[in-house]
Amino acid sequence: MGCCELLLLHTTIKMGSRALLLLRPTTSTKDLHFKSRFLSEALIVEKRRVRSYSVRSTIHPPDLPRLAETARISLTPDEVEEFAPKIQQVVDWFGQLQAVDLQSIQPAIRADTKGENLRDDVPETFENRDAMIAAVPSYEEPFIKVPKVLNKE
Amino acid sequence: MALSFFRGIQSRPFLLYPSGFFPRKHALFYCTMKSTQTQIATHEKQEPQLKVSTQSKRLDKISKDFEAVIGIETHVQLSTITKAFCSCAYNYGSQPNTTVCPICMGLPGALPVLNSKVIKFAVKLGLALNCKLSLNSKFDRKQYFYPDLPKGYQISQFDVPIATGGFIDLDLPVEYGGGHRRFGITRVHMEEDAGKLLHTGNGSYSEVDLNRAGVPLLEIVSEPDMRTGIEAAEYAAELQRLVRFLGVSNGNMQEGSLRCDVNVSVRPIGQLEFGTKVEVKNLNSFSAISRAIDFEISRQVLLHNEGESNQIVQETRLWDEGAQKTVTMRKKEGLADYRYFPEPDLPEVILGNEYIDGIRDSLPELPEMKRRRYEQMGLSMQDVIFLANDINVADFFDATIAKGADVKLAANWIMGDIAAYMKNEKLSVNEIKLTPQELAELIASIKGGTISGKIGKEILFELMAKGGTVKGLITEKDLVQIVDPVEIQKMVDKVIAENPKQLEQYRGGKTKLQGYFAGQVMKLSKGKANPGLLNKILLEKLNAKS
Repeated sequence: MGCCELLLLHTTIKMGSRALLLLRPTTSTKDLHFKSRFLSEALIVEKRRVRSYSVRSTIHPPDLPRLAETARISLTPDEVEEFAPKIQQVVDWFGQLQAVDLQSIQPAIRADTKGENLRDDVPETFENRDAMIAAVPSYEEPFIKVPKVLNKE
Repeated sequence: MALSFFRGIQSRPFLLYPSGFFPRKHALFYCTMKSTQTQIATHEKQEPQLKVSTQSKRLDKISKDFEAVIGIETHVQLSTITKAFCSCAYNYGSQPNTTVCPICMGLPGALPVLNSKVIKFAVKLGLALNCKLSLNSKFDRKQYFYPDLPKGYQISQFDVPIATGGFIDLDLPVEYGGGHRRFGITRVHMEEDAGKLLHTGNGSYSEVDLNRAGVPLLEIVSEPDMRTGIEAAEYAAELQRLVRFLGVSNGNMQEGSLRCDVNVSVRPIGQLEFGTKVEVKNLNSFSAISRAIDFEISRQVLLHNEGESNQIVQETRLWDEGAQKTVTMRKKEGLADYRYFPEPDLPEVILGNEYIDGIRDSLPELPEMKRRRYEQMGLSMQDVIFLANDINVADFFDATIAKGADVKLAANWIMGDIAAYMKNEKLSVNEIKLTPQELAELIASIKGGTISGKIGKEILFELMAKGGTVKGLITEKDLVQIVDPVEIQKMVDKVIAENPKQLEQYRGGKTKLQGYFAGQVMKLSKGKANPGLLNKILLEKLNAKS
């Protein structure tokens, strides 16, 4: 479950109330001819975000089985029961942020706005490649071996 | 910042009512055409000729009742030396898993640092596509699980892409009916490539090469403005020209440096809503784009006509080059949930107006500008499109006319004998030994009468294969055209004297034999006799005593 929480925390720390919006299921969208999946998601998020200024109180409880599936971890029913209230707690905790009045606040795209950190396009060879390759669980020169996959998802 | 969000919302009406800036009458005339390849891409491998005979009848029907709506997502691999977020070099074809480091292998604790060239290239392309640039943009994490993605997320841009709302202009090839088109560009964003996954035939495993992981990409999303396979292929070809002219990518489709995924839907003409869209992948050439779309359109229309439009489902299909058809790859079950959130390891991307202006001022002449300039020089659209297709050819042409060569003659030489030679020898214009300076000299020598056109051609091949100068070759081989009437007359007399039989026949009415005599005189002069003078003198002599 660590992964989910981590994700949730990252999200919430960086984005405040928006993270909560992301927790809602996104499957209710109408089948429109969008040019790209994420663009349509972007629009949906934006719309909700705007809407959330007025409709503040609706936070859907996290769907544990779905969260576990998106993080590719299997949970036993016992674990679901154990984790559900904990996740709910975190959500409620951040839910308090919903009370903040954002009407007159411009959304920030980043928490830290200070300075760029850019690199010149100059190549450098990483010297300890052998150690990295040695740590690959399944390697057969020159490839990393993985279970056979043909289709995404 | 609020502004950028509203921009996102405002763009929505465009998605819902894209209609067309363009008349749609051009619909599907291309089905009579021979090959999709000739003008589109001199660089790509020659493709087999388009097989349309079986489809053409169906397509006729489509043009009457249905309209296709096509949008394209293009990934362009940037030709930076290093990857997007680490200093590993990227070279296509390197030994697998050699140019990797903790950052691109996704090891814990490794932190990305953005390559400044990526921003520069994104701004270049954004400006070239007439986009609005976001002065503040950011990176986001797109989460999904796949073995070629070591971190478990792709660093991409989600809700604030670096460039939005542009367009691209292009000219359709003359053989497809011609015409100018403008297609909308929804957005351009920066992201990183995944590694390469190889599926070996045997064995129960797949192989991963992470050399490509972290290589910078620009994704370009078009508006759904295209209506035919040809338009879509031309859009992709124009993007290829654009990135090559800008020098941001080699645009090579075979190597996967330019990858197109197309979305195709059809709707009855007059209907405002879009039909169900189908995504087609695995398009490795422009002709594949064109043929895959045409196949997909007729497949969908056929289902409509047979009352089975419910069989058109939102799915991803693959183009099967061998079978020349699209096949289901996976059906979509709702929208994929990528759980985007801002990349916490990278600061926001800030563009200064000075920086943008600096790049704008340094942009080269782009394909569309070149075509309009060539058009104004009086060249035909076919010449214009050919010359502006390849930046090296265009540069060669520009350099030739800068040396004073006649525009139309220079175009003819380049498109004719020079292009044929390059094709035969599989050489690019930069690899042939002929220089623009010498081509201009050659054209001038012919125009000025120093050498004949025929000799000029011979010299041209020598110049392309071995180099050297026109003047040098003319003196070396004693090729100066004979323009002295006395000398030509001597040769004419000799030929007539040596062919009494033919002379008799000629004078008996077989005047066609003039050509025979002319050929003999030309042969005697080793091709150097001025043809005009030769014919004039020959005629006088042949008709003299009759």
